[in-house]
Amino acid sequence: MADGPASPGGGSHESGDHSPRSNVREQDRYLPIANISRIMKKALPANGKIAKDAKETVQECVSEFISFITSEASDKCQREKRKTINGDDLLWAMATLGFEDYMDPLKIYLTRYREMEGDTKGSAKGGDSSAKRDVQPSPNAQLAHQGSFSQNVTYPNSQGQHMMVPMQGPE
Amino acid sequence: MEDSIGGSSSNDNNIIKEQDRLLPIANVGRLMKQILPQNAKISKEAKETMQECVSEFISFVTSEASEKCRKERRKTVNGDDICWALATLGFDDYAEPMRRKSRTKIQEASTNQNDLC
Repeated sequence: MADGPASPGGGSHESGDHSPRSNVREQDRYLPIANISRIMKKALPANGKIAKDAKETVQECVSEFISFITSEASDKCQREKRKTINGDDLLWAMATLGFEDYMDPLKIYLTRYREMEGDTKGSAKGGDSSAKRDVQPSPNAQLAHQGSFSQNVTYPNSQGQHMMVPMQGPE
Repeated sequence: MEDSIGGSSSNDNNIIKEQDRLLPIANVGRLMKQILPQNAKISKEAKETMQECVSEFISFVTSEASEKCRKERRKTVNGDDICWALATLGFDDYAEPMRRKSRTKIQEASTNQNDLC
């Protein structure tokens, strides 16, 4: 995946300030293939099968997906002289990188999460609260938490099951 | 996707379902950490948010690939189907490098086979 931009936003997540990826162990670079396979299997019909190369392809994509979004969120925190990345920073990064359709379900998820946690940890403290001004929580936060934060939300172009929709191209 | 809550009175069952639905948070956190400067930190909510997103990303792409296989009356989803799904869903910039990588792997595999013969 290193040989091309990871998303419509273009650019690379491997900027100078960030840790090098070249000398990282294989198991640290990728998420466990068994877990990925299990999630993939749930999206298939009962008689469906997944080839090894399909699992490996998804495995690589997932690593890029995480790196790309985290990198953007990290840059924001550096600019704002904050050390801790919180959920709102990830939301902001996703919106910036063309994942606008993630925003509403994620806001709901984050608001519920904070209600459940009692807002006592992490980003609620000190300087990290500045990021909360960027993304306002959704008014739909009273929906009962049901495991997957994509439930109760309808998305265009999706098959009704998942929250993502095709990304917009670069403006 | 399955609910991870409800349907069972046993708390253990819920935990197992949650493990099936999400990727391990330690691994997700480790991947995120590799991208950050040395002194940066990641809040628990950020890791859990990313955990949810990644699961949705996988399900979303796999569903699209699965739909293609169903239409073509095939039972096995392969790497090309995933690349096709990525491109179809707007992740064009993911798809092309993945195709190149896939082709390279196939070439390497066939070279190794020839060496063995």
